[in-house]
Amino acid sequence: MLGKLALAGIKNRRRDYLVLLAGLTMSAAIFYMFANLATNQAFIKANAAIRSANVIFGFGAVLLIIITVVYLMYANSFLLSMRQHDYGLFMMLGATRKRVGQLVFLETLILGTVATAIGIGLGLLMSKFLVGFLLNLLGLHLVHLTSFYVPAILATAVLYVGLFILASVFNLFRLTRTTVLKLLHSDSEANQPQVKPGRQFIQAILGILSLAVGYWALANIKVLMMSAIPLALVTITIGTYLLFKATILMVIRQLRRTAWSKKHLNGFLLGQLNFRVYNYTRMLTIVSLLFAMALGAITVGSGYHRQLPRVVDHFSGYSVALHNVSGKEEKLIDQLHIAHQATYTQKRQGKVVAYNAAEFERQPFEQQRFSKNGQKLIGYDTQSLKTFKKSGIKEMDFMALALNGAGPYAPQILSASQFKQQKGTKMTVTVIRVTNFTRDMAVLKKLNKIETSRFVQPAYMTVGSYQSFEMMTGFFGGFEFIGYFLGIAFLAMLASCLMFKILSGAPGDKQRYRMLFKIGVRQSKMRQGIAKEIGILFLIPGIMGVIDVLFGLQMFKPLMASPMSPYLGIGSTFLIFIGLYVIYYFITLALYWRIVLPQATND
Amino acid sequence: MTTNTVVSVNGLEKTYGKANERQYRALKDINLTVEQGEFVGIMGASGSGKTTLLNMLSTLDVPTSGDVVVNGHDVTQMRGNQLADFRAQEVGFIFQDFNLLESLTAEENIGLPLALQGTASQVMDQAIHEVAATLSISDLLQKYPSELSGGQKQRVAAARAIVHHPAILMGDEPTGALDSTSARELLDLLTTINREQAMSVLLVTHDPFSASFCQRILFIKDGEIGSELRRGDQDRREFYQEILNELGTFNE
Repeated sequence: MLGKLALAGIKNRRRDYLVLLAGLTMSAAIFYMFANLATNQAFIKANAAIRSANVIFGFGAVLLIIITVVYLMYANSFLLSMRQHDYGLFMMLGATRKRVGQLVFLETLILGTVATAIGIGLGLLMSKFLVGFLLNLLGLHLVHLTSFYVPAILATAVLYVGLFILASVFNLFRLTRTTVLKLLHSDSEANQPQVKPGRQFIQAILGILSLAVGYWALANIKVLMMSAIPLALVTITIGTYLLFKATILMVIRQLRRTAWSKKHLNGFLLGQLNFRVYNYTRMLTIVSLLFAMALGAITVGSGYHRQLPRVVDHFSGYSVALHNVSGKEEKLIDQLHIAHQATYTQKRQGKVVAYNAAEFERQPFEQQRFSKNGQKLIGYDTQSLKTFKKSGIKEMDFMALALNGAGPYAPQILSASQFKQQKGTKMTVTVIRVTNFTRDMAVLKKLNKIETSRFVQPAYMTVGSYQSFEMMTGFFGGFEFIGYFLGIAFLAMLASCLMFKILSGAPGDKQRYRMLFKIGVRQSKMRQGIAKEIGILFLIPGIMGVIDVLFGLQMFKPLMASPMSPYLGIGSTFLIFIGLYVIYYFITLALYWRIVLPQATND
Repeated sequence: MTTNTVVSVNGLEKTYGKANERQYRALKDINLTVEQGEFVGIMGASGSGKTTLLNMLSTLDVPTSGDVVVNGHDVTQMRGNQLADFRAQEVGFIFQDFNLLESLTAEENIGLPLALQGTASQVMDQAIHEVAATLSISDLLQKYPSELSGGQKQRVAAARAIVHHPAILMGDEPTGALDSTSARELLDLLTTINREQAMSVLLVTHDPFSASFCQRILFIKDGEIGSELRRGDQDRREFYQEILNELGTFNE
């Protein structure tokens, strides 16, 4: 009987349950996708780009688990807030605590198991289509990428069902320890947070100091090395929390004294925020940090990938090196915008390749010239033949012009007469450097394809900046992929956390808006009021997160040396990310409106 | 309709339930008027339809048929924003459960009706302090509802109900949640407001003591107005006895 009642209760709120179920399902699906990529050994071993990013995967997995736990906590409190009135009613009708306890336990567990099962199914589908799509978009080809991987399924199932069992136990304790009356009147009285100016001033100072330490640590990652990351994580968390706690209440209190607060629903809005923000401080801190991590992951990932053409000239003194240029290649070369081109004759014999000194007199081999600290490419140089024979000849750029499957030949430069008598396979090599790499990328790609199909080279070596570019694209594309993947997963979960936290406050707000309705507040005014209230709750962690990212990117400065910069082109990444965040805001808003807004009783 | 009629109800009917369902007629052919400055009580047992009637008058609910004219506005013809604006401007409410917003201070609660109309803040401050002085709650203005007693809450609610000088003050069992001392204080206050500000008051109650503060009482039973009592020149105690006698026969 009680079971039937419980089912009826769920049916009445099926739309809210659907939201909850959808959220949990998405979370499980995302986790499965990630677990699939992170634990699939065959996949990781087969892809160099991913293998080097293994640390990032591990880091991502830890973060993902943390978010999942937080997420389930909030989803669970939303579930509880929906159900406690019903449970109170059952107890009032005489159901024993034990029986209601069983009900709570079962309900949570069933919901969780269903969500996990559907989530894994969805995760399988998403792995199959979405991951492939994302990889294609980034121009990556990863092998051994399967969507069905048993250990990943197990990991997801164990984690989620385990967490749901914990949640069920938690709910059981919560409900059986609360009095029936409290359950029935669960719309809690708002506690007015006390303001103690002295303490808040100290909190604010401490908060700013910890934030400063955190940001400083990130900016000085070169000096502090790996200890910078945990240091920053702790200090920024504490700093954000203290700053929220100290300032937001103070700002609201000041605003409440202004004339602005006495217009329309502004006073009500501030009153709502006053006690909400206080309860939400911890939540907002977590969300702002997650926001920062998600945004940071995407920014850095795509930053590397997008900015690669800017540094491509650093990789080598020439774009491509072509042997025995064919007619077809000639035509392609004509399409290039050439900055420098030189052709040398080689005679290969044994492990030695010989060059003709006369050719080098005519067309000296151009080398990169770097700034004093060795970081910035400032131009191209040629050496006199005598110096070149001593130093330039040993440069990798030059050695790479004559390769066999095992490695480079040892180069020798012989005088014209000696060269004439030299025996060996005769071939030519043409080095080409283009003026603008991005502009000629398509033609370079074709040339490189022909070259690599005609001549072998060791798998671990790259010749010319084009080949380096291709290799790095694969590598950083992997980075970008993980960045996007983690970023979107974090965003999805953090926004859902915020959504559930806000939605679990909705039943209490329902009464308040009912009162406003009675004293004659227009529907449109109430809608606006809610939009503002929730907007601010979304905005605060958003702003804090953006600030965190802007500082946090300092950390990547040593990795992205000039002319790359972690700050270049972040506008578009931010826009995409914020766009997704805004979508979550509107979903929350629509749900909130539906739960909270009173309808005139028309029948 | 004469100019000094504040509420006039003609042939008001309310039926719950859709045409194909079991229907319930909560109100049957109700006719009543409230004159300017009158203190009218509507008495009836639980389920007699008195709260339904009040909801119709205050536009919280929509009648099935009939007319309700409040201060010259035919509320049955109003829709959406008009209804909200009507409630905000013409009606003051006091509820049994106070309906104060616990996230706002007493002052902010009282000022809400004025804030909704976009009143300038100086005007608003003055109005709030005037009404607070009338209801002797000036020292409670900075407190939150959770810091107030039931009687104090209801006085704050009363202040909110009259701060914008509505055409009529409606009370739905306003003393229902109060102890006897607080209840008497509140009823005295309502009488004062009614007399000094010439504000019409419509009180819905099942409590004869509360009803004895009214000038005229309408008895409602099973959705119909059964009888009517006028206080005339009697003092409150005599009227109280008369109400008790009337209830004795009315409920038979």
